[in-house]
Amino acid sequence: MTLPDHRAGHRADPPAGRTAERPTVLLAPVTVTPAKPLTPSHLKGLLWTDVMFRATAPLADVTYRYSPTTYHLTEQTLGFWEFLDRTQGDLPYASLSEEEIGDLYVLFRKDTPPPAEALRPYAHEVERNGWVHPASERVLRLWTAHYGALGLHDPGLTRHQPPGLGTEEMVERLVTLGMGLDQRAGGGPVYLDATRYGLPLRQIMTADGQPNYLACALRELLPLAPAYDEVVLLHDPELAADYLLLQRVLGALGPRVHRVPVGRVPIDGRIRSARHGGWHDHTAGALLRALGTDGDPDVRRLGVRLYFIAGLGPGQAQSFRADLLHKSLDRAERLLRRADGHRLGGPQLHEELRRHRGAHTHVDPYRLTSSLLARSRRALGHDLLSTVYL
Amino acid sequence: MTLSPELLLTVATERLRAARPDLPAAGLSGPRSLLAVKDEIRSAAGAAPAGQVSAVAVVQEADLPSWTRETCAFVLSLTPEQTDAWRRSFTRTLYLAGRPDNLRERFAFTHVAPDATAAWAAPAPDAATTGLRRLLRTYSGRRPLTAWHPTTVEVPGTGARAGTSAGRRPVHRDLYLATAQLTVADALVHLGHLLAESVIDGTIGPGDRLTLRSVPRLTALPAPYAALRVDTDQHHPDRLRAYAALTQEN
Repeated sequence: MTLPDHRAGHRADPPAGRTAERPTVLLAPVTVTPAKPLTPSHLKGLLWTDVMFRATAPLADVTYRYSPTTYHLTEQTLGFWEFLDRTQGDLPYASLSEEEIGDLYVLFRKDTPPPAEALRPYAHEVERNGWVHPASERVLRLWTAHYGALGLHDPGLTRHQPPGLGTEEMVERLVTLGMGLDQRAGGGPVYLDATRYGLPLRQIMTADGQPNYLACALRELLPLAPAYDEVVLLHDPELAADYLLLQRVLGALGPRVHRVPVGRVPIDGRIRSARHGGWHDHTAGALLRALGTDGDPDVRRLGVRLYFIAGLGPGQAQSFRADLLHKSLDRAERLLRRADGHRLGGPQLHEELRRHRGAHTHVDPYRLTSSLLARSRRALGHDLLSTVYL
Repeated sequence: MTLSPELLLTVATERLRAARPDLPAAGLSGPRSLLAVKDEIRSAAGAAPAGQVSAVAVVQEADLPSWTRETCAFVLSLTPEQTDAWRRSFTRTLYLAGRPDNLRERFAFTHVAPDATAAWAAPAPDAATTGLRRLLRTYSGRRPLTAWHPTTVEVPGTGARAGTSAGRRPVHRDLYLATAQLTVADALVHLGHLLAESVIDGTIGPGDRLTLRSVPRLTALPAPYAALRVDTDQHHPDRLRAYAALTQEN
């Protein structure tokens, strides 16, 4: 299917299916740096987004925008690549595991941050040639396989998806909107300025031009947002302040903008950033290996969604528990059996999805998934499960 | 005229005396003792901040000529009570990065540049500007200053203090800034003090014209000075340096 440039991303339905009353929704989750294994926290965010995408798709024209290309320019990715080339030389990345690459990332995080000029050749390579370091290329390929095993829609992990705006155009547009403060002429940084709304000034680019992830997000979302009725930003609760800013900026362009914080998954009571390591027994790969590959893939797909969405919920109070994950697989098996042979059919399926939207267009994954487990539940259609969960 | 180390020390001492006549009258023996006195004043202010005031300058764009003109307009708009307290606090000013047009609904600035690239809040105890300071960040202009073509600005002609210099015809002065090892942010600080104190003591008045000139270092001046900005040399704490100078009328 052909998409107009300003809507580059993954659409659930061809634009031809759009009618006047069919709203347009852009889902833009925070991306994961391809430098480490996926952890349960990452998985939760990905499953949450996937269910929202697939459950909203029958009701609206949904674009799922997830571009690793956009965020390669952040200091943590470029810095990692520079570190690898400087300290490791030519490693057989294509045969390394994501855990082995993650170990190198932990080393990089302990190292002194490289100066901005050391990152410049890498930034130019990404901008001009869409280059990806073989270490991250490897990680993205391994993730693509995990996505496949879990039945996650692949929004283009290994595809070159550059942002619609260059850095200078983005800054210019932000300044014109009244929400940018560019002090580079005097040797200062660039700020996102939503002080009009009582939100503190936030630096998005250093004086020597190194952008942070917010600057990258703006290059991508400023040109996309005006074309949508609704924009949904899914993010870690720790990033709430930044996403509040993003919500203000994108809202100024017209669409209704919703923030959906998805709580992380503590391991043994602790929420840890993947940059510090300590994830070895709890990576997506390890989790998938523990679930086994010989069972019914439908049970596995529904089971992990029941656990990571309905089980853990939107907060982050509960630690990861393998026993509860396995119980969810048992429940999934029973649900699939009950749904076998039942079909809701188009209108009823749409009605069922619509009930879990709340005051917005997108479907709330938590409400929908929890409803599958409700005792009072009347009919369970296999078409609902296959549309959203399998 | 030559700006000798002895002259710089005299100027620095005079400034201390003018601001704080209540301090012991003992003369400064050298740059080190200037540092010591500054530390003493700072720690005394920390222990008992009563009476300490700071102005706040919100900087969107640091264009030196227009910034010079608007700084003068700001100081001219202050009342004698405000300038007295400010003088005693050595015209202390906090420089914050911000867009005045985004802040005007929340904060009543004392003066906003006509093009809204800068705004000022009158000298007040720090608590009065807590909200503004939480919202903004310290102005960071780390670009080294480079030479510019001399530019003349005219000090706006009205203001609460216009009466004090009433009767004096407008004059024309040169305003020198020593650019070597100076960043844009440093320039705002040094020019800010020189302009504020010159407006307060009437050396700069409404309608005056100032020609802003760059020079690598101020070791000598082609004309006698009317005001000098002298401070500890950032790069040599045991020396004083002349950072800016205002000449007598041309």
